[in-house]
Amino acid sequence: MSTPQGIQGLTDQEVVALARSGSEAAYRELLRRYERPIFSLVFRMVRDRELSEDLSQETFVKALNALDSYRPEFKFSSWIFKIANNTAIDHLRRRELDTLSLEGSPHAATPEAIEATALQIGARQETPLDTVEAKELGGQIEAAIGALRPEYRACILLRHVEGRPYEEIAEILDLPLGTVKTYIHRARNELRDALGHLRE
Amino acid sequence: MTRPSWHLTPDEMDSLLRGEAEPSLLQHSEECAECALLIGQHRSVIRTLESLPELVPSEDFADQVMFQVAVPDPFAMRSIATARQRVLHDSRARALAASVTVVLVGAMAASVIWTSFNREVLTSAGNWLGGEATQWFWVALRGAFANITEQPWFDAARQMLGAPVRLALVSAGASLLYAGGLFALRKLMTSPAEGAAHAGA
Repeated sequence: MSTPQGIQGLTDQEVVALARSGSEAAYRELLRRYERPIFSLVFRMVRDRELSEDLSQETFVKALNALDSYRPEFKFSSWIFKIANNTAIDHLRRRELDTLSLEGSPHAATPEAIEATALQIGARQETPLDTVEAKELGGQIEAAIGALRPEYRACILLRHVEGRPYEEIAEILDLPLGTVKTYIHRARNELRDALGHLRE
Repeated sequence: MTRPSWHLTPDEMDSLLRGEAEPSLLQHSEECAECALLIGQHRSVIRTLESLPELVPSEDFADQVMFQVAVPDPFAMRSIATARQRVLHDSRARALAASVTVVLVGAMAASVIWTSFNREVLTSAGNWLGGEATQWFWVALRGAFANITEQPWFDAARQMLGAPVRLALVSAGASLLYAGGLFALRKLMTSPAEGAAHAGA
């Protein structure tokens, strides 16, 4: 059996094969590889930290408990992003969210809850001023993404935040390639209009 | 820059943004001011999106997921794989497995057919078994009771509980002891969880 260091050099398909043979380290490696991308996608879809944690957990529990149904001829990333997107879209269909806060959940009632739900960003900022500016700019971008239709949001996030090719996005979202291209173009147009004042 | 009579379609613009455009489209994007402006704006949106930070879930995220995931037992997996391999690669083992399967399926089918034609027999057998079980239960109960009454401490206990006041006192004492035990158990089980919740908030 591979060591955790050895596992890191394997492809997703090889790690899945190890997990299927009962290696807990392989399960943890899949989690390590995808917890941030999945959490980022889900957060930007539902815009609530606590909820994103729950939905991301649900995504991984569904995926890891159903590894036997994963077909290795497809990309593992497509499969898990598809589960994450479906989980988020199902939730959005049940409940509408309309506000965004990088400072904490819009549903948090107390200062402690707001602090507990505040977003942790993979640190790139260097000074407190940078942090404030980045938060303000980031907040406006996130708000503009949040204002997009869920289908547009999923497409644009997968394309320009996760860097997935059009074909894979079509596979993940079960949409025709042409529709994906149209959605991405429209989403970019809407973001361009919404963020126009930042260029001025 | 000029003002041509045509502009880039969304598809053409996408191919330009991906850096896969034909030279004629590239040339147009350099000559047409409107398309150049649009491409610049789209590039700016893309750069903004690409610069968005990766978000981090809570530290115990992986542990919480793993708590809900059923990792297959490697020993069982190996045993199943070995058995499967043996059955698939050895003709005698394959024949044996096929025979066992045929016998099992045959036995199950025979059982279902027999049952559907002999319901009365099954009902009477069930009734007989039920009656026997009830009889054995009462015999066991009587035996246990007789055993208790023959114990040397039985008379003393009976005398003590004979008076209504003493019975009430013993009952109250037992109830208090039970309630105290329940309270202590509840306290013991809830205290650490509450502490953890406050620490996490």
